[in-house]
Amino acid sequence: MGRRSKIGTSLAVVAAMTLSACGGGGDDSGASDTVRVTLVNHVWTENIRKALPEFEKQSGLKVEVTQLGEDQLSDQYNVKLNAGSSDIDVMMYRPLQEGRLFAKNKYLADLTDKAKESGDFDLGDFQEAPLSATSYEQKVVGIPIITEQQVLYYRKDLLEKSGFTAPPQTLDELKTQAAKIQADNPGVAGFVARTGKAAAVTQFSSFLFSFGGDFVDESGKSTVNSDAAKQAYAYYGGMLREHGPANISTDMSWSEAMAIFTQGQAAFYPEANSLYKNATDPAKSKVSETVGFAPFPAGPAGSKPYNVPSWGLAINDASKNQSNAWKFIEWAAGKEQTLEQQKAGVPGARTSVWENPEGIATYPKDMADAITVSLANGVGHDRPLVERVAQAREIVGQPIVDAITGKDAAASADTAHEAFQKFLDDEAR
Amino acid sequence: MPAVTAPSRASRGASVMPDTPGWARWANDHRKWLFAAPAMAFVAALIIFPLAWTAYLSLTDSSGSVRAESEFIGFRNYLDVLSDTTRFWPAVGRTAAFTGVALFFEVVLGMAIALLLWRPFRGEKWVRVAILLPLVATPVAVGMMWRLIFDPNIGMANQVLGWVGIGPQPWLAGQHTALPTTIFIDIWQWTPMVVLILLAGLTSLSNEPQEAAMIDGASAWQRFRHVTLPLLMPTVIVAVLLRGIDALKTFDILYATKGRGGGSFHEVETLNVYAYGLSFDYNEYGLSSTVLILFFLIIIGLMWALTARRKKEAGR
Amino acid sequence: MKPRTGFQVFRAVALVFVVLALLLPLLWMVAASFKTNVDIYDSGKALVFTPTLTNYETVLQQANYVQFIINSLWVAFAATVLSLLLGVPAAYSMSRFNMRKSALVVLMARVIPGVSLLVPWYYVFSNLRMVGGFSVLILSHMFVSLPLIVYIMMGYFDGLPEELEEAAQVDGLSPIGAFRRITLPLSLPGIATAGILSFIFSWNNFMFALVLSGADTKTLPVAIFDFVGYASIDWGGLMAATTVVTLPIMLIALFVQKYIVSGLTAGATKG
Repeated sequence: MGRRSKIGTSLAVVAAMTLSACGGGGDDSGASDTVRVTLVNHVWTENIRKALPEFEKQSGLKVEVTQLGEDQLSDQYNVKLNAGSSDIDVMMYRPLQEGRLFAKNKYLADLTDKAKESGDFDLGDFQEAPLSATSYEQKVVGIPIITEQQVLYYRKDLLEKSGFTAPPQTLDELKTQAAKIQADNPGVAGFVARTGKAAAVTQFSSFLFSFGGDFVDESGKSTVNSDAAKQAYAYYGGMLREHGPANISTDMSWSEAMAIFTQGQAAFYPEANSLYKNATDPAKSKVSETVGFAPFPAGPAGSKPYNVPSWGLAINDASKNQSNAWKFIEWAAGKEQTLEQQKAGVPGARTSVWENPEGIATYPKDMADAITVSLANGVGHDRPLVERVAQAREIVGQPIVDAITGKDAAASADTAHEAFQKFLDDEAR
Repeated sequence: MPAVTAPSRASRGASVMPDTPGWARWANDHRKWLFAAPAMAFVAALIIFPLAWTAYLSLTDSSGSVRAESEFIGFRNYLDVLSDTTRFWPAVGRTAAFTGVALFFEVVLGMAIALLLWRPFRGEKWVRVAILLPLVATPVAVGMMWRLIFDPNIGMANQVLGWVGIGPQPWLAGQHTALPTTIFIDIWQWTPMVVLILLAGLTSLSNEPQEAAMIDGASAWQRFRHVTLPLLMPTVIVAVLLRGIDALKTFDILYATKGRGGGSFHEVETLNVYAYGLSFDYNEYGLSSTVLILFFLIIIGLMWALTARRKKEAGR
Repeated sequence: MKPRTGFQVFRAVALVFVVLALLLPLLWMVAASFKTNVDIYDSGKALVFTPTLTNYETVLQQANYVQFIINSLWVAFAATVLSLLLGVPAAYSMSRFNMRKSALVVLMARVIPGVSLLVPWYYVFSNLRMVGGFSVLILSHMFVSLPLIVYIMMGYFDGLPEELEEAAQVDGLSPIGAFRRITLPLSLPGIATAGILSFIFSWNNFMFALVLSGADTKTLPVAIFDFVGYASIDWGGLMAATTVVTLPIMLIALFVQKYIVSGLTAGATKG
């Protein structure tokens, strides 16, 4: 026993000593020509990898890319950043999901000066909503690279068949059209959307905003039991219960919901525009010829879809190679690459690119129009802005699921409100 | 036996030759620990710090980052966790259900298949090959494979049901069907292991009790129930022990099929998945450590009970 | 004995059913790996389809799987060899000197939930500047292999009669010499069994590799998730990837069936 506890103590001592040696952050003490970049599986990543040789040539740096799935990426960050590891320089992260937690834990280096001093980079070019999501306490801690707006995917052929000449302008019209199409086409659902408790929250948010609600008010209090919120929950759940696919699962993320839509089994589908290639690619979709895109329909408070940065780039505060790490971001999130990305179907966060006709030329025309509407009215978040986002999503997502399964949405919203307020109080402590 | 070993034991001390160098003599004299200590030290070094740290964290309110300041809060986490009826106890229940149901079917099916394979027959080799394959397949890959087969829209499972006129099932995507489906996957992958263990046990049984029972006119079932099964019981317990530890800790197939949190309703969230989610999704290191320590105690307790039972069976 | 045809027919039918239940899913996986995504989505092409090699091209060329295969082989091989070096002598000592309590220390590694090790390990190893290389990955896989090897080899040494070593010592060999010259050669089948199983378990390990592998050291089970993208699941590529991961291990299993069976059933039949 004595031997074993000695080993344990000495391990802890070694750990403590080396930790103190690498305390403090953010310098170039370990400057290296190799920049270690961790990226998620995404079209953006595929595009950037193709362009990498060009960057390596002009900068003389070597870029080492680790590419992971979304969950695996977040698992790795949790372990590595927690341990204060310096073996990540640049990290691709989800500003709205992990941004606050990471910033609060000081995992993200302050990029304000670097971004402002860099002439060509032009920080002012970034849209305000996405950039505010990558800032923390007035400091820029991340650069938004991919934005998402919610649009309405719909089936032109089904609309035509039921005698509708245009996609719905309002949520009421959406309901009418969905009901009619469902009645005209046995076996086809009028409406499909994400149903998973946490997964649905982001797509539900546009409904919430358009009904005039939000998750939290300015004073930081929960508002998920407001009248607007209760209406939104009842509407979203009711649409899926009444006009959704038969035997609807309450565990659908985008991949399941998208599969139903692309198999031709649903007429309307509100979803992030970033996923549109799944619907237009004939290799994946049976409805590639007949899919259309419309702006998010207006509710009592107008059409208020989210417009959020789904991914950003940041520098690990513990990295010892921060100048070179910034060079990578400067290039990858720069004007030229953002335009290239957008031409390849990945919506960016730079105003200049959206104003450039080239930047939207490759989008389906109706998609480009729909996005323009979203950019004008967009709300900068699609989930509660808190540190422990995963828990918050489960709390505010519960009424969605309850509404789908036919329970009393208002009562469930009241229950969720209590839990959410407790959660917010707990976080504020 | 003692008559044989006694003289040689006496000779052992004298066997070290006088002309061997000092270090070799020392090595021979201390070979017991010289051989055993490195492996033990290796495991201890990799276990003790994590275990001690986990135990320590379980007494703090560490969250967000393990490097952030945390407060020592005594056993409050334990009280919180043990009184948590929304996540912890359901997770305990699911862990028990997953392990219990999977083990039950694996042992029953495993026993049935082992009995079928007991006596030699033509083509035996091929059956053994088929039994081995699921067993060695990478669990994450197995999870992904079943995820495609059980896909509600494009999966093979619903197509097959369609052929026989049964409507599509949600399988992994359904609130109430997900856990049974993952149990099914576990049974598919691990019944072969139980078959192999029981088969080894059956093969080592002597034939005499069987033949005696046959002469007494016992039916096949009676022979199984009153002769084979009691003799095989220690082996069954070993199978349950080995499989049970792994079933309790199942992670790979749950992660591959349902991801973190075990679905919208945490429908496949076992203790292991819950602890993982607390650490990696919620960053609640204090609570996560508490769950892990409790989980560890449960595993040790069950192992201890089973080992005791096996000793009792073997002693009969 | 009377001919038991009824039983034999029943047994044949039952075994055919068992074999199909075990093999069909695997065949389905392999079949899907030769389909385009459109064909996978098309229920009419469940059984009849035009095979394509595109998925394997994706896996082996674009997705860099050759590198991951080499990584997996190297990690599993190194972990197995090192674990054998540590584990075989330990098992010998524990068997001969009846050190059951000490054996428990090693077997504890098999019992502890891996989740509780991830963050602490990473914390220590990153501060020792070991993360990102193969060494930390190999160490973590040894943690899986070692208890397995000790468990199997203890059973094996228990079954080897002590008299042979004693006779060798009478003939003038030192105890360690007797272990090396007599016991080790006799236990080669046991070592092969332990080594093969250790290799398989290391190859299949996901949780440790998920967290501890870096860009250059990623192993196959982790690489499977490359095909679950943020915006799409490439089922064809995914199934080709799972086939690439499982096929080598299944081929190994077929060639050394006997050893695997004896390893998995080790300790099962002792009183």
